[in-house]
Amino acid sequence: MTIRQRISEAIPLILLTILTLPVVLGFVWLVISTFSRRTYGLLPVDTKGNFGGLTLENWKFLVTDKDIWPVTLNTFILAVGLAVGVVLISAMAGYALSRIRFPGRQGFLAMTLILHAFPSVTLLISIYFVLRWISAVPLLGKGLPFIGGFGYNTLGGVILVSVALQLPLGVWLMKGFFDMVSWDMERAALIDGCSRFRAWWQVVLPQIRPGIAALSIFSFISGWGSFLIPYTYMTAQTKSVIAAYLNKLMGETVPMNYSAIAAVGLFQMIPVLIFFIFTQEYLLSIYAGGTKGGQ
Amino acid sequence: MKVLLENLSKHFGKVIAVHEVNLEVRDGEFVALLGPSGCGKTTTLLMIAGIYQPTAGTIKFGERVVNFLPPKERNIGMVFQSYALYPHMTVFANIAFPMILKKVPQVKMRENVKKVADLLQIGNLLDRHPGQLSGGQQQRVALARALGKEPDLLLFDEPLSNLDAKLRLRMRSEIKRLQMELGITSVYVTHDQVEAMTMADRVAVMHEGRLLAYDTPDTLYNRPSTLFTAGFIGSPPMNFLPMRLERKDGAVCLDTGWLCLPLSAEQGDVVARSHMGANVILGIRPEHLAIVPEGDLKATVYVVEPLGREDLVVLRVDENELRVLMPSPFRGEVGQMVSVRLDRSKLHLFDPQTEQALL
Repeated sequence: MTIRQRISEAIPLILLTILTLPVVLGFVWLVISTFSRRTYGLLPVDTKGNFGGLTLENWKFLVTDKDIWPVTLNTFILAVGLAVGVVLISAMAGYALSRIRFPGRQGFLAMTLILHAFPSVTLLISIYFVLRWISAVPLLGKGLPFIGGFGYNTLGGVILVSVALQLPLGVWLMKGFFDMVSWDMERAALIDGCSRFRAWWQVVLPQIRPGIAALSIFSFISGWGSFLIPYTYMTAQTKSVIAAYLNKLMGETVPMNYSAIAAVGLFQMIPVLIFFIFTQEYLLSIYAGGTKGGQ
Repeated sequence: MKVLLENLSKHFGKVIAVHEVNLEVRDGEFVALLGPSGCGKTTTLLMIAGIYQPTAGTIKFGERVVNFLPPKERNIGMVFQSYALYPHMTVFANIAFPMILKKVPQVKMRENVKKVADLLQIGNLLDRHPGQLSGGQQQRVALARALGKEPDLLLFDEPLSNLDAKLRLRMRSEIKRLQMELGITSVYVTHDQVEAMTMADRVAVMHEGRLLAYDTPDTLYNRPSTLFTAGFIGSPPMNFLPMRLERKDGAVCLDTGWLCLPLSAEQGDVVARSHMGANVILGIRPEHLAIVPEGDLKATVYVVEPLGREDLVVLRVDENELRVLMPSPFRGEVGQMVSVRLDRSKLHLFDPQTEQALL
């Protein structure tokens, strides 16, 4: 290998290193500070400013705060509910938009795109009234186990709203994936004896598994980290989610204990990190080619 | 099972894809739908399959009208150009899939899969996935999948177009042999006339959504009923020359400036009544022309294309081109004047307006 080749290989690596360094340093600080009383830069220090002061103090909220586990469970239910809801509805709507000609199809597609670009914050107040109205519906409003119901101040209501806001993206993504499945394969399934629904379920859906995986991962992560919707529509602390819990921490402790906040932040990140470690190769192949190649 | 198409039409918005097609496929018959791309042959096939619903007309399986019957209730098997195998299933699962849906009992299903897999020599591939197979193997799996459910009707949509030339030749004879052995009524869509002519019992020639001719390969080739059929079937294609029908010395003659060709009394009788003094189109196949020392007309050699066994000699006379098949090697120079003889018993005459055959 000549020197010129070595240099041309090194340049992108150097550039990437420079670009990712601030992010990496941020994460390093996050990890270090959760185990320290205070930090000077990346250095943990004790009360006198000397190196040291390592502690598990910041993590004691896992044991002492009785709210954290219900809140974590809520966050998990929200994330899973969001992923399942978005994937299920997007897969069906995307199929219909990709395969079936019906009046208003073009308009619907255009509308979905506009909705995708629409800032959801502007809808907060109107959604509040919708949720209040749903609350008045017997049983469905606030009488369900686990999620409480679909009304105001219930986890189900938050899932409902989050799913609705995530759908435009999901529908478009799924439509794109369905467009890539050949008509012939679906026709073959129909001729082989499938109903339209069975052809969709047994033949077409397996072809877009990478798309479904991507959409469920995105949805899960956005559900896991979501703040605005649960913060707005869930008032009770024990019913809320980790992001809202984190927010409460910032307001209550004066002066702010950054190390404690960092610990909760890291706690929130752990599932996502584990998730990415196992799925990054798969996700990258989807980003690179649109579909998972081979086969 | 007999298949009957009556005045079958399909419109997509303003586009007329298929226009009033009438076609009867006898029980056990192998029929090819032949035509250039966009002629409506695949649309017709998909209507038979039940994927498209006809805009007008009826489709009958036996005596039963099946216009609105969903594909899964028609008991048909179909082979696609793109194979359309299910990539997420093994070869075994692919072949078994239609039988599972048909609720064939496990034991019989396994038997059937093994039987068709052996028939198509893919018994050793059953555990693989389609992605691990070559094109030819995939096509065999597709064929096995269509055959396994013991369909009443087999449909083929250009199944050999994606294969290389040698494999295509082999699959051609295999499909024909299978169809004859199993005796399943088959409809085969292709744009390749050699495929249609060699495999089918009868060939339906389609053009711009219409059925132009429907007959045995032999009749289509030797006695084409329309100008389009005559020009479409046969390679190299038939020569067409504009002529005038005149009476000279008591005989009916084809006349232009450079050729005066008397017709036989029999031929003359047929055309004289309607077309005396009118323009007609003379059609003659390249193999029915010969370059001889003393012929009917003189022409200049324009190009010589060696085809191996024969040479295709392109001649120019006046503004017209004439293709002549000569045994190889053809000894002649480009630009040379040669004499050509027409085989008079093999002439075709067409009306330039209606494009119908006159003889």
